[in-house]
Amino acid sequence: MSYVKTPNEAHKTLTERMRYLASGTKYDSCNQSAVCHAFAPDGRCIQLYKTLLTNYCSGECTYCPNRCERDTPRVSLSPDEVVKITWSFYRRNAVEGLFLSSGVIGDAENTSEKQLEVARKLRAQGFQGYIHMRLMPGTPKYLLEEIADVANKFGVNAETTSSINYSEVCPNFDYTNDVLQRLKWTKELIIEKRKEVGYGGRIIGANDTQFVVGAADESDRDIVHTVNKFMDKYDLRRPYFMSFDPVADTPLEHNTPSPQWREVRLYQTSYLLKDYGLKAKDLDEIYTDKGFLKDQDPKILLAQSNAEIFPIDINNASQQELLLVPGIGPVSASRIMQSRPINCEQELARMGVVITRARPYIKIKGRCQTNLSAFMEACS
Amino acid sequence: MIIGFRTTVEGVLLTCLKLRQLPDAQLMFAEDLEELQRKIDFAGLETDLELVGFESAASTTELIARVFGKHWNRHVKFSRRKEPDPIHFIDLVLRHADCDPSELVRTLSLSEDVPSLFSGKMQLQKRCYRCMREVNLSYQRLCMFARPAFVRGILTVDIKPEHRIEDMFCRWLARKNPDLPVAVVHGDKAWIGNGHFVGLDRFIVVTSLFMGNLEAMNVSDEVEELWDVYYDSQMIDSRRNKKHAKKFQPKAASSVSGMSMKDRYKVERGISPCKLGDFFEI
Repeated sequence: MSYVKTPNEAHKTLTERMRYLASGTKYDSCNQSAVCHAFAPDGRCIQLYKTLLTNYCSGECTYCPNRCERDTPRVSLSPDEVVKITWSFYRRNAVEGLFLSSGVIGDAENTSEKQLEVARKLRAQGFQGYIHMRLMPGTPKYLLEEIADVANKFGVNAETTSSINYSEVCPNFDYTNDVLQRLKWTKELIIEKRKEVGYGGRIIGANDTQFVVGAADESDRDIVHTVNKFMDKYDLRRPYFMSFDPVADTPLEHNTPSPQWREVRLYQTSYLLKDYGLKAKDLDEIYTDKGFLKDQDPKILLAQSNAEIFPIDINNASQQELLLVPGIGPVSASRIMQSRPINCEQELARMGVVITRARPYIKIKGRCQTNLSAFMEACS
Repeated sequence: MIIGFRTTVEGVLLTCLKLRQLPDAQLMFAEDLEELQRKIDFAGLETDLELVGFESAASTTELIARVFGKHWNRHVKFSRRKEPDPIHFIDLVLRHADCDPSELVRTLSLSEDVPSLFSGKMQLQKRCYRCMREVNLSYQRLCMFARPAFVRGILTVDIKPEHRIEDMFCRWLARKNPDLPVAVVHGDKAWIGNGHFVGLDRFIVVTSLFMGNLEAMNVSDEVEELWDVYYDSQMIDSRRNKKHAKKFQPKAASSVSGMSMKDRYKVERGISPCKLGDFFEI
């Protein structure tokens, strides 16, 4: 498919086309950094100009509003137009860079070439901002290598947890070859580029991927185990989750939307893997019988299921034990380790510990919050 | 004994070393020798005066190593809070509108190592740390919410910062746009970055009037409308988290630019799903 405008598209202005394509990426969360230049009115960070190159798509993904069989207005932006808009926003300090995704234009190779063209044009014009490219499943290795030269971050969405589920939601692509193989190549390229660029050079972002939560029948346990596997195997740094919302005129239009809290709980669980050093098997006790997360903080659920190890002595516990306490994160755990001995709760609060959460699980200088069983024991 | 020092990073570090030798000395600071002389005349002081930092001395890295030891940058390397190194710390504190450089010197001379600078165990350390945080926050907010526009081909931004950070911000803007002249205007002064594109030094401070005469290539700038379209397209109504959004688009920073003011308005009021054009489409 070329960039010749169809009669339907011809009368749409640049602004109109931009609106269509930008809204196509609004569910893609960007890579949050220390300084974000803009935040969407709903509170999410939009430090990048996020857009699709086109919403024409030859794919038949069952959940996607841009699937080829759906009757929806189709528009495209030419690489030059994307470059122009990116520069305009970047100059005005409204964004830090570009997040570029696309519908599948014919095949993955053709689409990635167009995406690469945008990135190349920007770099050729001296663009120093951040470029994040979401690539199509099945992008050839030679193109991944070329993209790695110009983009700061690139990757393929896994969407789901297994080949069977994937063939249901994305029937045009093969999970093992088009997704997992690409994740492996991406990992290798990131390692290679980081070695080339060295410390202080161009940012080379870590491997990442996105899951559509609720489109297939996978449980949260499956998703968390898959994330863990990807972290071990493909150096996945951070998974993104997108709640499934049924779109009219798609095969899944009558399915139930995935609740928003499920996405939030999955993010919280993924942070336990990413930042707290836990493994998926450590979290097996927090799911329901069917393997789904409850609408409660997974860390509190984990602490409740391991009640026998609490309360822990804040002045003697190891960093890994401290990390199991609700209300203590990696930063506050390391502050506690450096500032021992701790004498009172106020000191902990100053270090960033959420006391109301942590109180039932900690002991300071032999003192801990009493609980009903301890009270009854003391009375007897 | 009075130590008269210049309010620069070198001046502060040299004075700190001197104060460790002469802990009972009084401190007096000034931007330059003339100002110091005026202060001395005004106070009518006749005691011994030692000038520090008005002539170029050793480099700041050498001085900081003499103050905090050769491992002065180790704390910053391992700090999880990404705190600035001590040189940057001093620079930031000196930029604070209410900064008392004498207090800073005393804090440094009493701090045996770099971590104690950030520990806040003494009142003086706390005050300096707070100053550093405020200046840093002010700078970060400018980097986030200032929206420069092209004025006669120069990427220009008008700011009113609480602290003396105009040059810092100008250097940041120049680094971000290395192929364009940039200008940061505050009152009757303008800081020009990448000035070589308009026949000036790479970084220079001029008057606003002079800046009015500068002209680079003509660049059209019709971004605001496009930004509004993009900004509105990113809203997901079902995910609206007003409290969170307000935190990221703080009211205090919304006056930095017209665009951020408009963004803040949308955070507070939401985006109207109904526009005048919709009536005509019906």
